Amino acid sequence: MSDIIKVENLVEVYANGTRAVDGISFSVREGEFFGFLGPNGAGKSTTIKILTTLLKKTSGSAIVADYDIDKDARAIRKMIGFQSQETILDADLTGRENLTLQGHFQRMRGDVLKKRVDELLKLVELSEVADKRVSFYSGGMKKRLDLASALVHKPRLLFLDEPTTGLDPQSRIGMWEHLEELNREEGTTIFLTTQQMEEADKLCHQLAIVDYGHIVVRGSPTELKRQIGGDTIILSLANGDSAAALAERSKQIVSSIQGISKVINIENGLAVYAKNASYLIPDIVRVFDENKIHLASVNFSSPSLDDVFLQYTGRRIRPEELSKKASSSYDWKRVT
Amino acid sequence: MVYDALFDTWHLFDRAMKKLLRTPILIFLSIFQALLFLFLFTQIFSKFGSLPGFPAGGYLQFATAGILMFPAITASAQSGNSMVDDINSGYLSKMLVTPVSRPAILLGRLLSDAVMTVIPTGIILVLAYVLGATFATGVPGILLIFITLAFFEVAWSGIGLAAGLATKSQETVTGLGVLIMVPLMFMSTALVPLEFLPDWIQTVSNFNPISYTTNAVRALMSTGFDWNTIIAAYAVLALLTAVTMGATLYQFRKVVK
Repeated sequence: MSDIIKVENLVEVYANGTRAVDGISFSVREGEFFGFLGPNGAGKSTTIKILTTLLKKTSGSAIVADYDIDKDARAIRKMIGFQSQETILDADLTGRENLTLQGHFQRMRGDVLKKRVDELLKLVELSEVADKRVSFYSGGMKKRLDLASALVHKPRLLFLDEPTTGLDPQSRIGMWEHLEELNREEGTTIFLTTQQMEEADKLCHQLAIVDYGHIVVRGSPTELKRQIGGDTIILSLANGDSAAALAERSKQIVSSIQGISKVINIENGLAVYAKNASYLIPDIVRVFDENKIHLASVNFSSPSLDDVFLQYTGRRIRPEELSKKASSSYDWKRVT
Repeated sequence: MVYDALFDTWHLFDRAMKKLLRTPILIFLSIFQALLFLFLFTQIFSKFGSLPGFPAGGYLQFATAGILMFPAITASAQSGNSMVDDINSGYLSKMLVTPVSRPAILLGRLLSDAVMTVIPTGIILVLAYVLGATFATGVPGILLIFITLAFFEVAWSGIGLAAGLATKSQETVTGLGVLIMVPLMFMSTALVPLEFLPDWIQTVSNFNPISYTTNAVRALMSTGFDWNTIIAAYAVLALLTAVTMGATLYQFRKVVK
């Protein structure tokens, strides 16, 4: 299967000088379920807006299905679907009318369109409320309709910007099932951005972890977690005057314990990596005690993508962070 | 390509109409305002009609043409406000991800607003007729009145649309609309015959598209098919359209790729 997305050295600088995307390169194979995992401000939404032709890139190249993003935008629009982070629907129209109109935008018409709309309504379980105005729909229903509207023309490539953020757990699982089915049964390539590691872990064949406009690491979820090389123990040190010196000393002390594969400094403490780390916890506590360093807490986890992020950036992905004012429309600042 | 643009225009027109008709408050406001002005002006200025030098027929006959300008002007802010709505809600970007024809986005909206002026215009005409106004040119003339006002409305919409695209603020579009409307309505022949205006306002009036449009509508009502006046009006409106639509397209290109 060939690459349906090829991005090289993509850069996006906003009018106010922010480097939202700072030279990223990656490719996505057709049929793949690909993810961008990272915190707010990492450049995920910006990248998607560039790839969906909504935002003009500052420099670099982006090829979607062999079409250049700048020269052949029109051709690209015919074969992609996009669901933005905020649900965008026409509240004055019914669910059915929204989908039909979207079909018209994609130059579909007549019976073919009608059948497709019925099919989609059934797929997202909105057939019963299809002829009610969208203003009466619940948040979850709107999100499902929004997804359906991106699928009307059976796009080869589907872009999803944080598709389950804000959904209740049940709706989230339902959405995951829909997406997996879509990718599996229809062969739709899916490019997804998310802050939730469970989502990236569960759905993506391949993913790129992003932070501050850069790709930090790429690979499949399994590969990435394996890179951790074991479990993670998070040690929180009590805050003190000599925090930095303390952290350095603690690092040296811990590294001396047998079986530890890696120790890195993180905010307010250390991240310790080892195989079967739970057995090393007593040794760690003992060694800190002997050196009279106060440990605030000890936390243990099996490898997760958040740990991968932590290992590469020294921070955690924090999904509960307040999102910067996400406008549903794209950023209107442009650099000419 | 042209067929696609027409196809898209039709569906966007359909969408705009559905939205307008499902927000009855907008229609009511437009009708109510028109009736209110008709009533107020004709009552307050009822004795003007008997002033020496005032055109024959009384004030109602004279002012109806001018009052018909109100719904056309207020409806034209609707285009701008709907556009701002679509921009701020993100619906515009949802459209832009599809191959929908870009010109159709503007055309569909303009068409729906032109059509919507029919309702308040029709109601004012009916009411004026009931109150005693006469129509010198009969049904064909009335049809031409509708067309002329629709043309005016489209030309005037460009102001709101350009402002909306530039500022993305409904307050600005509405505010600008009112700010422009009030002085221009009064510094025109809409409500008062030209000779009754002070000299300097007469000069303003002679450059005012509202005057030209009103004169044409008034001629159709009271005089007959005064082609000089009508053609002058259409020429001025064509010029106005070129200017406002030019500004609109310029702003539109800045917002859209």
